Amino acid sequence: MQTKRTIFGNRWLPYLLLAPQLAVTVIFFLWPAGQAVWQSFLREDAFGLKTSFVGLSNYTRLFDNAEYINALKVTLVFSVSTAALALISSLLLALALDRTIRSSRVYTTLLVWPYAVAPAIAGVLWWFIFNPTIGIMPYLLERVGYDWNHALQKGDAMALVIIAAAWKQISYNFLFFVAGLQSIPASMREAAAIDGAGPVKRFWTITLPLLSPTTFFLLVVNVVYTMFDTFAVIDATTGGGPAQATMILVYKVYDDGFIGLNLGSSAAQSVILMGIVIALTIIQFRYVERRVTY
Amino acid sequence: MVENHRWLDVLAHLTLILGVVIVAFPVYIAVVASTHEPADFVSGLIPLLPGDNAVATYASVLEGGVSSQMSVPILTMLKNSLIMAVLIAVGKIVISVLSAYAIVYFRFPFRQLAFWMIFVTLMLPVEVRIVPTFQVVADLGMLNSYAGLTIPLIASATATFLFRQVFLTIPDELMEAARIDGAGPMKFFRDILLPLSRTNIAALFVILFIYGWNQYLWPILITTDAGFYTIVAGIKRMADVVDSEPLWNYIMATAVLAMLPPVIVVIAMQRLFVKGLVETEK
Amino acid sequence: MAAITIENVGKTYAGGVPAVQGIDLNIRDGEFVVLVGPSGCGKSTLLRMIAGLEEITEGTVRIGDRVVNRLEPAERDIAMVFQNYALYPHMTVRQNLSYGLKNRGTPRDEIVRRVDEAARILEIGAYLDRKPRALSGGQRQRVAMGRAIVREPSAFLFDEPLSNLDAKLRVTMRGEIRTLQRRLGTTSVYVTHDQLEAMTMADRLVVLRQGRIEQVGTPLDVYRNPVSTFVAQFIGSPSMNLMSGTVRAGEVRVADAVYPAPGVPDGAVTVGLRPEDFALVPGGARAGMPARLVNIEELGSQRLGYFRVGGETVVASFPAGQVLSTEMTLYPDLSRLHLFGADERRIDPAPLRAGAV
Ligand SMILES: Nc1ncnc2c1ncn2[C@@H]1O[C@H](COP(=O)(O)OP(=O)(O)OP(=O)(O)O)[C@@H](O)[C@H]1O
Ligand SMILES: [Mg+2]
Repeated sequence: MQTKRTIFGNRWLPYLLLAPQLAVTVIFFLWPAGQAVWQSFLREDAFGLKTSFVGLSNYTRLFDNAEYINALKVTLVFSVSTAALALISSLLLALALDRTIRSSRVYTTLLVWPYAVAPAIAGVLWWFIFNPTIGIMPYLLERVGYDWNHALQKGDAMALVIIAAAWKQISYNFLFFVAGLQSIPASMREAAAIDGAGPVKRFWTITLPLLSPTTFFLLVVNVVYTMFDTFAVIDATTGGGPAQATMILVYKVYDDGFIGLNLGSSAAQSVILMGIVIALTIIQFRYVERRVTY
Repeated sequence: MVENHRWLDVLAHLTLILGVVIVAFPVYIAVVASTHEPADFVSGLIPLLPGDNAVATYASVLEGGVSSQMSVPILTMLKNSLIMAVLIAVGKIVISVLSAYAIVYFRFPFRQLAFWMIFVTLMLPVEVRIVPTFQVVADLGMLNSYAGLTIPLIASATATFLFRQVFLTIPDELMEAARIDGAGPMKFFRDILLPLSRTNIAALFVILFIYGWNQYLWPILITTDAGFYTIVAGIKRMADVVDSEPLWNYIMATAVLAMLPPVIVVIAMQRLFVKGLVETEK
Repeated sequence: MAAITIENVGKTYAGGVPAVQGIDLNIRDGEFVVLVGPSGCGKSTLLRMIAGLEEITEGTVRIGDRVVNRLEPAERDIAMVFQNYALYPHMTVRQNLSYGLKNRGTPRDEIVRRVDEAARILEIGAYLDRKPRALSGGQRQRVAMGRAIVREPSAFLFDEPLSNLDAKLRVTMRGEIRTLQRRLGTTSVYVTHDQLEAMTMADRLVVLRQGRIEQVGTPLDVYRNPVSTFVAQFIGSPSMNLMSGTVRAGEVRVADAVYPAPGVPDGAVTVGLRPEDFALVPGGARAGMPARLVNIEELGSQRLGYFRVGGETVVASFPAGQVLSTEMTLYPDLSRLHLFGADERRIDPAPLRAGAV
């Protein structure tokens, strides 16, 4: 691992400098993570009096549990739809911005600020807009003959959380797509134009392939976002309902652990989630070009 | 521009305007709602044009006590959010800059181990270890305290890596010159390294401030005492009304107040914000 | 001011590769010593060991009468000028100059006095309140010098301080550094890989090769009596011509010509001749070397002729107007003929006396 050519010779100072970070890491990250792993092998009896070691049974039970399988499916649908919606709309905006040189700063300012809006607030805003009794969207949908009610209809609930989650993520993706587009040398597109490629053809043959590292990076980031950071969106809108229709994995860990007090199962779910994050992190570091090098 | 396609330019502007409208729409609705009286919502449709009750709404929201769910003045929540955001941002920056300094400018046993321990935090977001982390904080008696709200969140692999990258690009000779000039490790850190990392620190502060301000799950877990509610976490508790229709104008006023500070930060420091975002890459 | 005594110094880096080995060198008080050698020969390593930036794994370094092996750089009473200047980018020139003095607790008015003095000497007074970013390369170089001289150290250490400047400025600056050093009388160790810089600046040259000292001497001494083919080729530009020859019975045969080599043992040798040591008319040499001209380079003040001599290429320099033709004979100056043995070391023939031949 890289250091400087010359280094300071102090014996204790480096440990002192690292102490705060490592203390927080051990106490609030490693220890709880270890606890989660340990608890995932235990089960409490119905009265919380006796705890016994049950091996992998918490895990096997999970995969026999229809609710958990449902949560897996819900997470998949939610993640893929949200990521797709957020990526495609932000790419369109970035491409549009790339054509408007003069006014680009104004548009950028007008488009980036939702990054600063908390996922929970985004949820509340869209929840209000889609409120079945007074919301503007149900009112408009009723005009075209659709009866919106996300408190009762599963599809409506899923649509609501997808829209709220994607809305919040657009500005982040937009900024990275803009940066990605700017790093494509103008000479490439000019060369293609001279070769007679029209704007649409140029997009598919030049721009999109050259954007693929950015797209892949954003895909990973968006998946992580939809799997974890959207807890607040769900909690502020549907609370996982109706009938588990928006019960994503992260929300279920919370629901089982804090509301249902089923610690063994919640811990096993935590461990599975950790596995997913670790896999995503490895993908991000192995296959996505990063400035961090080891 | 490669060549002239008028229609493409028009399309580009239309797309962007549509984008801006979609992005702004929910916020517009919220602002409008916050300017009306509760009675205006009974009609069955959200008002679409501003009302004249803005001053009254915001004044009563800030003071609190407008209803049973809103007994806490929003001012208190704003204060809590501000404290939390600033403590988290400053805490993360301080401990990360110190650890990056140790890792880059010293060689010592277990350096590699320390690096990997920090790295691992990337893979353990709060959401995946909710229950045991809550237990640790409870055991340490940190529930309902600013320490509990902030300290468990201030480890940061991303910030540490960012500073490490920054330090690695600073020429070795600068440290050598400083040593010859009689600067010890801490003097060098204070006099040379920190001033040279100034813009990085500022950019990171913007990102981390937003991160801290927007925390949701953690404050919900850690605070039961309304005196420690943050605004982002508090709004949910307000909207959760069982017995009656929510007080929409107050909720939306709170939502507007909750997003105002970070949005202002982003717009006012757009350049730093973009730099921070792109450099930390999350 | 102090002498620097280096005894049996060596450095092995973490990888186990010895970078510098068995260096013995006495640098006299006030002397300007240049360490020169090709890239990777250990010049910087040796200098940095003197500075205290690199741990000394073997031997001792003394500055004045103190052994400094275990002292921090700041305690060694030296100042260093780096190739990239290493000015603190966020400080003004004045702050850059003052920083070291401040750290040492020098009184404020003394700092002001010394900074003003340095600024006057180096003519950087006009930019004292600028940041390094706003200075040209040459000006930064001066500020770096200033930072060294305000400290009034007992030695200056330079690590290729001019290599980031353009050729013209380099020539000016090397003169200035030398003048300044003479005026201050401060012992100096100067590292460069540029042999011309080394020749023009040094009181004494130290030629390094693969971590060892190859030769120490005044520039002229090293130029005239290189101890090995390595030094012979490294010092001087264009470099010395090396041709293969054979010695038999006190005579060396090279390129069909035979020259006296009294007292030199029989066997294969390398014959060295500097480009300026050829003439077109027989002088002291009885025999000339038949040469075919292949190329001419005009330098303005002189012209360089590239010849095929025997199977080898030989460069010779002539005054600007000299007429050269395709087939010629080159007559070497015998008093400037160098012989090197199979081990590439110099062989000095027994003194040539008139009449002995
Ligand atoms: N930190 C290090 N670790 C390991 N080996 C090193 C280190 N620094 C230098 N070396 C090796 O030591 C040898 C001498 O290096 P040094 O930097 O002293 O050369 P130099 O003569 O200054 O060359 P240059 O003219 O290129 O600056 C080289 O072979 C180099 O690879
Ligand atoms: Mg060097």
